[in-house]
Amino acid sequence: MKYTATLRVNDIAYPVEIEPGRTLLSVIRDDLGLTGTKEGCDDSECGACMVLLDGRPVNSCSYLALQADGRAITTIEGLATDGELHPIQRAMLEAGGVQCGFCTPGMIISATALIARTPRPTDDEIRAGIAGNLCRCTGYQPIVAAISAAAADMAGKQSSAR
Amino acid sequence: MAVVIRADGKEKVTGTGRYAADLTLTGLLHARFKFAEIGHARIRRLDTSKAKALAGVFAVITQADVPDVRYGLFVKDRTLFAKDVVRWEGEVVAAVAALTPEIARRAVELIEVDYEPLPVVTDLEAALEAGVQLVHEGWADYAIDERVLRDGNQASLSSLVKGDADAAMARAAVVVKSRYVADGSSGVPIEPRAIVAEWHGDKVQIWSSTQVPFAARTLVAETLKLPENAIRVSVPFMGGGFGAKCEGHFEPQTAALARAAKRPVKLVFSRREEFLAPDHRREGMIIELETGADKDGTVVARRGRLLTENGAYSNDAPLIAQMALHFLAGPYKVPNINITAQCVYTNTQPSGSIRAPGAPTAAWALEQHLDELSAALGMDPVAFRRKNLLADGDEGPTRQIMDSTHALATLDKAAELIGYGRPLPEGEAIGIACGWWPSFPMSSGIYLKLNADGSPTIITGAQECGTGAVMTLPILAGEVLGLPPEAFSIIYQDTETGPWDGGAGGSQTLFNNGRATIAAAEEIKSQLLKMAEDLLEASRADLELVDGKVQVKGSPSRFVTIASLASTATGDQQLLASGVGVVPPTPASDASGCIGRLGVESFAAPTFGTHAVHVKVDRETGVVRILGVAAVQDSGTIVNQTGAMGQVTGGVVMGIGQALSEGIQVASDARVRNPYLLDYKLQTAADVPPIKVGFIGIAAPDAGPKGSKGLGEPPCIPTPGAIANAIALATGARVRQLPATPHRVWSAVQQETKR
Amino acid sequence: MTAMAGTPSGVAPVTTGGGATFSQPTSLSGVYDALAAGARVVAGGTDLIVGTRQGKLKMPDHVVAVDRVAEMRGIRPTADGGLWLGALTPHEDIATNALIRERWTALADGSAIVGSHATRNVGTLGGNLMNASPAAETVGPLVCFGAVAVLASRGGERRVPVADLATGPGRTSAAAGEVLIAVELPALAAGTSSCYARLEYRRQMEIAVVGATAVFAMKGGAIAGAHVAITALSATIRRIAEAEGILNGSDGSPAVAERAAQAVAAASRPIDDVRAPADYRRAMAAVIARRVITGAVERAHGAGPSIPASDALHGAR
Repeated sequence: MKYTATLRVNDIAYPVEIEPGRTLLSVIRDDLGLTGTKEGCDDSECGACMVLLDGRPVNSCSYLALQADGRAITTIEGLATDGELHPIQRAMLEAGGVQCGFCTPGMIISATALIARTPRPTDDEIRAGIAGNLCRCTGYQPIVAAISAAAADMAGKQSSAR
Repeated sequence: MAVVIRADGKEKVTGTGRYAADLTLTGLLHARFKFAEIGHARIRRLDTSKAKALAGVFAVITQADVPDVRYGLFVKDRTLFAKDVVRWEGEVVAAVAALTPEIARRAVELIEVDYEPLPVVTDLEAALEAGVQLVHEGWADYAIDERVLRDGNQASLSSLVKGDADAAMARAAVVVKSRYVADGSSGVPIEPRAIVAEWHGDKVQIWSSTQVPFAARTLVAETLKLPENAIRVSVPFMGGGFGAKCEGHFEPQTAALARAAKRPVKLVFSRREEFLAPDHRREGMIIELETGADKDGTVVARRGRLLTENGAYSNDAPLIAQMALHFLAGPYKVPNINITAQCVYTNTQPSGSIRAPGAPTAAWALEQHLDELSAALGMDPVAFRRKNLLADGDEGPTRQIMDSTHALATLDKAAELIGYGRPLPEGEAIGIACGWWPSFPMSSGIYLKLNADGSPTIITGAQECGTGAVMTLPILAGEVLGLPPEAFSIIYQDTETGPWDGGAGGSQTLFNNGRATIAAAEEIKSQLLKMAEDLLEASRADLELVDGKVQVKGSPSRFVTIASLASTATGDQQLLASGVGVVPPTPASDASGCIGRLGVESFAAPTFGTHAVHVKVDRETGVVRILGVAAVQDSGTIVNQTGAMGQVTGGVVMGIGQALSEGIQVASDARVRNPYLLDYKLQTAADVPPIKVGFIGIAAPDAGPKGSKGLGEPPCIPTPGAIANAIALATGARVRQLPATPHRVWSAVQQETKR
Repeated sequence: MTAMAGTPSGVAPVTTGGGATFSQPTSLSGVYDALAAGARVVAGGTDLIVGTRQGKLKMPDHVVAVDRVAEMRGIRPTADGGLWLGALTPHEDIATNALIRERWTALADGSAIVGSHATRNVGTLGGNLMNASPAAETVGPLVCFGAVAVLASRGGERRVPVADLATGPGRTSAAAGEVLIAVELPALAAGTSSCYARLEYRRQMEIAVVGATAVFAMKGGAIAGAHVAITALSATIRRIAEAEGILNGSDGSPAVAERAAQAVAAASRPIDDVRAPADYRRAMAAVIARRVITGAVERAHGAGPSIPASDALHGAR
């Protein structure tokens, strides 16, 4: 049986009709056409499917889509505003944190959650904060550098805005 | 060096770039394979009728539905679908195309196969004994490359012979013998593979997450009996390969399925399937080494025996086994060598190139063996290596005279970066290991054109698998044409538009395609100068290309923009070039004493590296933590600093994984026990320390663009050996199995304590 | 806009996609209705969905998502000085709760290392308990703290010691129609100190292969009430009376800790599997048990490992 629900993804409301067993990941990708969120494993280990649910990082591959009804979902497509890259996105490019790019969306989402909770994370905190996101290309080093630089950038902007 | 933002970067960080699994087409069906799910069995009955009858199923195909073609790189031992016998659990028995993934899954469950189980072969040594179960009963009837020496379960036999190892060993002052056993490991690209196929009349368009679109096209042509120009293989964004997506893989089955279903079909692997089914994983090995040295530490002889795991079918594993002999000689002066390599059929996943195939595992064994020898000699491991490493003018294992060889410099720099020799707390130690790897000169080409507004377009057949090699081409072309890298657009990884390319393997992309790019850019430059000569009334020798202009040297006010030249270019002045360049020569060598010679006998533009790893071992649990890494590579000139750094840090972390946590566990029924990421453990960001990276940076002759050498693969080679040596130094116990899991480290410590 | 997802659209299913019916009530009474109809409870889904994706579990035909049930949410002090933890409390909220970190420290140790940061944000305490895994990170500490599971049904509430909740891997003593709504931590005995750690191959993203909890009430420098439990070392997570007997009345010195740890190893019933052979697990039972015993003693003296103890006890950099 299908159920109706409204998924609020990146501030856009999507009415959907889906079966209870559908994962949030499959609905985001297949029904909403937002393919930036990736599927890399079967057991919540790789983090490529990471999205924010009411601001918390969630492996969308192991979350029922219907449970997200009405909640605020942020995917990688929702981070850049008015064509301006998010500071983490920009830092990832500048630091060489992007190679094949498959882990990148999930990595950036985890970094977003981390910086929201810990505005100026240490390198160890960054490494713990993205430990649920596997990257096979970079050895993580440029990603850690990118997140650190982005956090400094974002903190600087906040203080100058005050 | 200015930071160059990769041309594909913005799409990747915003999630808008499409990977193969992201594609959809009108009428798209979903494919799913029926796998053997048994290690070795004869197929008594294969019945797809119930699956075909399920509503929503459009096609179910088996070997009976495709041309009866056996294929394989050296031995033509396999078919697209299982024929009569299944030889490993991941062998494809049948394929289904259905309206939804769920219907496809149910249809696969409805396929009935009756198996007569056969004994499984998993032990490399037992597999070679007389009277044992053969993985291929009909092995003698397969078409083979005549150079391959086969016998029953021996898929190939090769040797590396130089001088008289027996005589030299007999005279050696110190002789050390060692035996090591390595588990196989997986490439584990974060993107599980995906393929979409759609027919247009007699032609098929395939989108695939392959590293090698041209090789994939060739396989489709061979197995489906089509001309290559009826097949187009395009690669959308590609989520990493690490060798696991080399050679053709499942493109023919997907294309055949689409043809049978008369609809486009998409195949997307789950992680479990990605672990089990591809005919590429890093082979397990058994390595026995014996080395003799003079009292002063000069190595005089090496003998050894290598067994490598071919798996159920033979791809490039025989060549990898032969190449591994070079890595068991190592980047050292060894005047007398006699090592044999046997590649052995087993009822497990076929082995095939994974990043620097053969090298990290062989180096892991050799570098431990050398530390054991250093200890027997009473020498410091660094001093021992300094004495024996190859340098310019020395003779390599096949009597290649070494050139542009900076192995010693990598050793010294790595020791310096890690602070070798400083006192460390109890339970900590620094291990050192060296490694080498060839560059692979081969044909490669690009087209370069300037559009009417002067904007440049590179059209290449090269494949970007994430390394940034293709993204670096604009740097090279831009330097010739006086244009910023950002100005270029790149058309790439598509067999229909670009010239043939060897693909993202062998660290060859920038090495060869970079050369082609410079050649094409020089040709365009020449065309621009010819046009500008008349306009500027100056001879071309007095002209230069700077900032998008052709200008008179010393008189920058006399210029014409490239854009205006491009806008007027017509007819014979079409700004269009193709570049191939001159393929660098492969060094002369003498391998006449060797058998089973399948290629790569000398190392063109050889690369060297030394890694120093600082570990801490928890003796009570066997848990190893990596506290620091220094990785120094001799990769010739560095063309793209950010990209090069990323190759090294990524390679090191892959090496840490192989050293500590990545091992395929095969049960006694030949089935893999850990085909998922919780129990096949990649290193996480939290496990990895900061990595100090060093490059020697000396331009190499007969090498890649600007004197560069291949860089994608080498940085994963020395790491496992360095870690193994560090564990031994920290604990006094040597772990002779790979990976050094906590249980294995603990067991080694327990045994050492009991002695 | 809350209950939309509970409204069947009437569209005929094209595929089963797993479960056939779904409800997402906002109060317990809705949960009881669903349970009466045979539904299976899902909270964060981190265990169930992974299990189904790996083919280890079957997606239940009827699912009741309890994540919006107000009565199952929150952390609040109880009248007797204990703590009431709603079953929906995510691990992250427990791991970062100042009061829990200070007082029920071992629970913070366990909660801080469940899965990944995402698992900790979505996975719930209730789910961790009701999944009844012998490797559940929070259960050893809860057992040692004497925590009580609050099971609710149409007929009222029933309190079961957490120690008696799991009856085997994947099985609990909860009856059909019952839902776990909260866990109550009783007031701490004076001078309580605690520690939970597991063997960690990697520094993150692990699952317990061997785990141990020590909770001590310290009195005048001696251990007055020792509670020691093992994780992933038997079919259920349970206390080891032999070890507790050795520790009670002692000062928890290294020698005593070692003897108690050996008792833990002797009482463990480790399995052989892909993660570790049984002999190694048994040897590690002694090592990890000794470390948590010592860690709890050190914590009693204002020192000891930082949270989470697992990382600190493995010689982190």
